[in-house]
Amino acid sequence: MKLCVSSTGKEKSSRVDIAFGRAPFFLIIDMKSMDMMKVVENSSAAAGHGAGIAAAQIVSDAGVDAVLSGYVGPNAFNALRASGIKVFEGVTENETVQEAIGRYTRDEYKEKTAPTMVPGCGGGKGRGMVKGRGRVGCRRK
Amino acid sequence: MPEEMTERLRSEVIEAFHRKDFTTPVIGITGGKGGVGKTTVSINLACALADRGLRVALVDADVDAPNAAILLSMPLKNPLEVNITMPLIDAERCNFCGDCIRACRLNALFMPRGKPPLLLGECNGCEACLLICKVVAIYRGRKPIGSTFLSQMDNLSLFTGALIPGLEESSPVVVAVKERAFAAADQFDIILVDTSPGAHCNVINALKGADKVIAVTEPTPLGAHDLDLILRLLDLLELGGSVMLNRADLPGNKEEISAIAHKHNRVMAPEISMDHMLAMSYAAGVSVVRQYPKAASSKVFHRMAEEIATEYGL
Repeated sequence: MKLCVSSTGKEKSSRVDIAFGRAPFFLIIDMKSMDMMKVVENSSAAAGHGAGIAAAQIVSDAGVDAVLSGYVGPNAFNALRASGIKVFEGVTENETVQEAIGRYTRDEYKEKTAPTMVPGCGGGKGRGMVKGRGRVGCRRK
Repeated sequence: MPEEMTERLRSEVIEAFHRKDFTTPVIGITGGKGGVGKTTVSINLACALADRGLRVALVDADVDAPNAAILLSMPLKNPLEVNITMPLIDAERCNFCGDCIRACRLNALFMPRGKPPLLLGECNGCEACLLICKVVAIYRGRKPIGSTFLSQMDNLSLFTGALIPGLEESSPVVVAVKERAFAAADQFDIILVDTSPGAHCNVINALKGADKVIAVTEPTPLGAHDLDLILRLLDLLELGGSVMLNRADLPGNKEEISAIAHKHNRVMAPEISMDHMLAMSYAAGVSVVRQYPKAASSKVFHRMAEEIATEYGL
């Protein structure tokens, strides 16, 4: 089983990144051996549009089975689910990837089964190069 | 503004920008800053020209907030839908190469493992995915994004573009309303195009094909700043014209406005001072030139209309 954790750095000792689509790195962990298999750079972290979908494409192509992050936006969620990838939310910014993996193995995170917002509302934390686009018409439910 | 913006655009870009396949003169009304009176100038100039017996087309190209119809109390009529392409994917033909995913600048497409791509994000209809697909597995669907309207009042025809609120793809609506008016150019003696505020793509789209531009502003620091921005854009596009000062008697710096106009080789058009009659007509949703023909501002608009008619031999 391959778990993808959104991370601020390239090591298991790095702090997690709580925003999936805008995270700079994805660490892919083999949950059988607990080894880190791969570090994938999120080339779309600063995308002006669709960062979540592009990030989902990256981790989907990397063959992961589950994603663990603080928050996974609705577009990314729908994309990951279309690839049959499970989504777990709830990591907090003070955790390291190592700690988050530990909590994951103890079932401390909830699996997300439905998107939380209307897609396309810029659920990302606005870390892209194009900040504060003031997207008119975002309807939050 | 970056240095490269002050360079000249390539000649083929300039040529394409100025190309039009009819002889009817086209005058753009813009100004950079919002709320300076672009639409007020547009509707009054349109009425003043129409009152000279000319057949006038006024194009409201501020598709995010079209309001010339409101200021003229003209109901929107004769709607035509504006659509953009939405990619439809033929799962039978798709070879899962992923080219379309990489071609999409908005990251709107997603390819689930072992399945053909899905459109999940916001698509602006650019068709890059259609162009890149080697196996022709993507075809054109349509998504309505807005409408154009044609309303008529005596010899004034108002073309309005209106984007569906909340959508981002305003540019195709600007192009569509221009095309609708330009397609009927032979029926008009003059075409006026009222742009949105700013100095962005939709202003450029709105001014494409214009022969000259009236840049409306006011004697305030923001008016001066945004005037300089829009004039730099117009210089780059090699589009000449004048600067018109509205609310000219505000306690601001008129000389600064003239200096900016001079720096960009533009003449100052007749100015409009604060005019109670103009405000009254604005509040009533009618043109001041028709409601209060003797008002000071009406005289300015009539004078401008006369100058335009003389310049183009109308």
